[in-house]
Amino acid sequence: MVHSLTGTRIRQQRTRIGLSQTALARQAGISTSYLNLIEHNKRGIAGKVLLSLARELGVPAQSLTDDTDSGLTTALQEAAAYLPKEAPETASLTEFAGRFPGWSRLLAAVFRKTQDQDTAIAELSDRLAHDPFLAESLHIMLSNITAIRSTAEILRSVEDIGRDQTSRFHGAIHDESKRLSEAAQALIDYFEKDIGENARTATPEEEFEKFLSKHDYRFPSLDLPDADADEIDVLLVDAARSMSAPTRKLARRMMQTYLDDTKIMPLSAFAASALAADYNPSALAAEFQTNLHAVFRRLAGLKRDGVAAPAIGLQIVNAAGHALLRHPLTDFPLPRHGNACPLWPIYQSFTQPERPLLEWIELPNGKQFVALAVALPRETKAFDVPPDYRAAMLVIPKDQARSFAPWLSNTQTVRQVGTSCRICPRENCPARCEATVF
Amino acid sequence: MTKRILIVEDEPNIIESLSFLLDRAGYLVESEQDGAEAMARIDTFQPDLVILDVMLPNRSGFDILRDIDGLDTGPKVLMLTAKGQARDRQTAEEIGVTRFMTKPFSNSEIVLAVQEMLS
Repeated sequence: MVHSLTGTRIRQQRTRIGLSQTALARQAGISTSYLNLIEHNKRGIAGKVLLSLARELGVPAQSLTDDTDSGLTTALQEAAAYLPKEAPETASLTEFAGRFPGWSRLLAAVFRKTQDQDTAIAELSDRLAHDPFLAESLHIMLSNITAIRSTAEILRSVEDIGRDQTSRFHGAIHDESKRLSEAAQALIDYFEKDIGENARTATPEEEFEKFLSKHDYRFPSLDLPDADADEIDVLLVDAARSMSAPTRKLARRMMQTYLDDTKIMPLSAFAASALAADYNPSALAAEFQTNLHAVFRRLAGLKRDGVAAPAIGLQIVNAAGHALLRHPLTDFPLPRHGNACPLWPIYQSFTQPERPLLEWIELPNGKQFVALAVALPRETKAFDVPPDYRAAMLVIPKDQARSFAPWLSNTQTVRQVGTSCRICPRENCPARCEATVF
Repeated sequence: MTKRILIVEDEPNIIESLSFLLDRAGYLVESEQDGAEAMARIDTFQPDLVILDVMLPNRSGFDILRDIDGLDTGPKVLMLTAKGQARDRQTAEEIGVTRFMTKPFSNSEIVLAVQEMLS
């Protein structure tokens, strides 16, 4: 089966202009049976046949070729993998996405919501058992209750207590009662806030990503030459009402890093240098005397109004594969909950720490990208602690890489990768860790 | 000879009431709020019994319990905690706690426990 909507588009255009299958086949110089297979997406089509058909249909060839949002397709594949017992018709998934884009987006959104809620439920269950705030709150409250109970019992059962001692016990009951009510109120606020926020977003990570997406992963006010940490507070004030404390912490940390990067690589100077260096991270790291991760972060956020730069995706993970930062591209989905393809250079980089890796990669849909990855240890001044490596990967679409970064030769081997095993059709992949649903 | 009790607890009002009760029961009582200072106080005060909280500033009750367990002739330990989970109780028992009591407790309950442990 060919995962393409080209045939469907040819059929739609042919019927739109009132042309029979036989007539179109004759005009294009192919057999009717071959056209029939093409129109039912059972044969791939390219080159002269595509150009002939497009010419006879009176449309540009490009308008017939597949431009389905691969992020949407991936989400639908994941949804199919989530409930395989329902036996969704995965063979016609691309056609479904193309013919019913609205329903497809709805299905993908409902699936993502379900997935996020599953994660939230797991996290909340885990929190009830291990949350330090809950443990601390219960400890405080039970200690308050113990003090009140013990003191009240003494006052009730012991008659010969001195006036000063009695006064101290009364004071203790007053103080402990006050602290108990404060602790109880804090606990109620904690749960109410959590319930309210989880109704909107499932996890701090999701909320953090929404925040980044809202800002398009760029903070122009932090790029101003005189920007300082106060500007981060200003940015957080607007979001604070709808943002949980853990999310604010994530956002603050990320924006502080962004601000630090701007001080080393000011926007205008960096944009000019990046253009001159053909967006080569190594050259930029040398010029600005900083590490590759900092340059990666700056490159991924460079494209904006007034700054022509390639569209670049970025992912940063820790050694356990936990996604610390996701800046996805439309055509290169980055799984939110782990389980990405282990063949991605970002994971390979952990096997060769501090060595920058460059690889051309191809997703199962045939789209190619250049991936630049490097694993670097976080700086520590403490002795005898294990190194904490973080890996970062830049992903640049093939056409963007060709236009902006000619130093990236595409003559080397292209590695076949996927997005995650469950929805990857590469059956004999040696890195497969779970069965595909396809 | 009067038996000595050291209360290692960070809540001053619990120290106040426990000290009052145990003093009236005929024991010599001192207290320590800082977990990091507990072992030094045990060394100087030489208590027969330590009433030890689990969650303390600077050092956990479990760590202190391990040090006490390592002493040749250490005091008995009555562990007090706001955590009643089986896991905490198991941890304390594995280290060698003499008795375990969860908050909140009644005055008679704790005085009786102390009397039993020091009899």
